[in-house]
Amino acid sequence: MARRDVTVSRVLRADARLVWRALTERELLAEWLMPNDFVLEPGRPFTLRTDPAPGFDGVVRAEVLEVDPGRRMLWSWKGGPVDTVVEFRVEPLGDELTRVTVVQRGFRGLRAVVVSAVLQLGWWNLMRGPLPRCVARLAQAP
Amino acid sequence: MIDDRIFRALADPSRRAMVERLARKPHTSTELGASFALSAPAVSQHLGVLRDAGLVEVETVGRYRVYTLAPGPLLELGAWADALEAQWSARLDALETVVGRLQAKEKRSRRGTP
Repeated sequence: MARRDVTVSRVLRADARLVWRALTERELLAEWLMPNDFVLEPGRPFTLRTDPAPGFDGVVRAEVLEVDPGRRMLWSWKGGPVDTVVEFRVEPLGDELTRVTVVQRGFRGLRAVVVSAVLQLGWWNLMRGPLPRCVARLAQAP
Repeated sequence: MIDDRIFRALADPSRRAMVERLARKPHTSTELGASFALSAPAVSQHLGVLRDAGLVEVETVGRYRVYTLAPGPLLELGAWADALEAQWSARLDALETVVGRLQAKEKRSRRGTP
């Protein structure tokens, strides 16, 4: 089992319709994601702006790749060293409950290879188990 | 931002396997060569790249050179990958607030209409 993407999911106490609005209206997107010039139109490039960091000018260059209205939206997402695709999924669960899922995948280039490797389960476990133990061992040794 | 040398060093599967092995315990280059069926020059070249990236440290013990993992860069890398997930998680918390407000507003206006 390899983990090659970042997936985060939440169940929100709201209609799917409202969740979709928050994902696709410029002002609402700005409130929870970043200031932007988003337009819900496939093939339309837009930018999201955040604080610059070393190796990153703070501008995410994105484009709407696919839209399944009310359900699913795919963006390209290029910022600093990160060149990826971000998918948003909206699933109505009934009773004013909606699951929203964000998947960031397709890390490309050299960093991509390493990020993929790091995100692979075995490697991930290494980070959680042997590596911290190794650190502890070094901390004990003078 | 993480040093490119770390990314370059870890882009190679043999070197990642070596790092994984060294995370468990220190090894001599001979032991590493035997584990991965690599020639001495190949092992030495890989270890050189890992040392340049600050991923391994070497110590001479008697006749042997013992390689140890330097965990700093890897922890940084792990933190970076964790940070991506944490960022989306924080954003979805913010989304929840925005959506909650939309929902409350809609309920109020529904109650408001006779």
